[in-house]
Amino acid sequence: MVIKSILREELENSSRLKQEYERALKKLPQGALVSKTINGHKYYYLVRRAGRKVKYEYKGKVSGAVKRKYEEAKKLRAKYIGLLARVKKQIAFLRSALRGKEEI
Amino acid sequence: MEKKKYEVCLEVLRRFSEAGILDNIILIGSWCLYFYKEYFTGVYFPPSIRTRDMDFLVPLPPHMKKKVDVADLLKDLGFIPEFVSSQGYIRLGHPELIVEFLVPERGRGSDKPFPLPQIGLNAQPLRFLDFLAKNVIEINVGRLRVRLPHPVAFALHKLIITGRRTKREKAEKDRDQALSLLHFVIKHDRPDKIRSVYGSMPKKWRDQIRKRLAESDEKEIISVLSGTARK
Repeated sequence: MVIKSILREELENSSRLKQEYERALKKLPQGALVSKTINGHKYYYLVRRAGRKVKYEYKGKVSGAVKRKYEEAKKLRAKYIGLLARVKKQIAFLRSALRGKEEI
Repeated sequence: MEKKKYEVCLEVLRRFSEAGILDNIILIGSWCLYFYKEYFTGVYFPPSIRTRDMDFLVPLPPHMKKKVDVADLLKDLGFIPEFVSSQGYIRLGHPELIVEFLVPERGRGSDKPFPLPQIGLNAQPLRFLDFLAKNVIEINVGRLRVRLPHPVAFALHKLIITGRRTKREKAEKDRDQALSLLHFVIKHDRPDKIRSVYGSMPKKWRDQIRKRLAESDEKEIISVLSGTARK
């Protein structure tokens, strides 16, 4: 019974965490900045998906702060996607463990 | 899975140390049981079931010398702030660990979170935590010095809170952990320490502990507390 209650608690934790990662992913700025060099000057485009299409939005010259913001968002997005996948696996495992017929 | 958990745990401790807050907080909760093996050197200390919770006690008043944004400190590891319950406790979640801060509850108590601007988070006030803060040991985890409650204090605290648990399973887990830790201390460490820590507690708490031990028919521990145990 003790193990079962721990598993239940962990399932609640993982479910909450899943929601938080999904929320955080939505909050991150969409897309990635890419640069093009024209006549020795760097110009930036924001590349993002819109349905099945990839859209390029011209941003021109951007400040270091904006570049850092998108760089950080890119790293966090990759991190969160990886951790979200791990949380989903945990949820599946915990659900199947709790569904077991035998008393844990 | 366990290895990953431990790696994340070490990284959290390392970052807290670098940020200068590890000296001002005490690791409590089930992670202590993992680290007690560093305290009981030379004897095998069996591992115990633990959840992902990594709880830190902030003794009051907080002694942090500089402000640290803990959420920001752990952000790149993937820790994410979670708001728990309608009162708005904040904890930092990760698939391997959940970092939470607690403070001792004093006076009438409150169900509201205790603000900790020193670390940019809030903490949940809980009863009897001052007792843990008064009985602290330091252990080496790699190059880090980590503060934990003395195993005896940890166990006796668990026995007190057992009676306050609303969930029966949690109460059982607390009681089992406390009893196995106390038996381990009697066998391998210093049973006299149990008596001295117990003796430092208010009578009301001592009575509660006695009651819990009597319910579990723990004659050996009761005899240690009474000073009638054979050496």
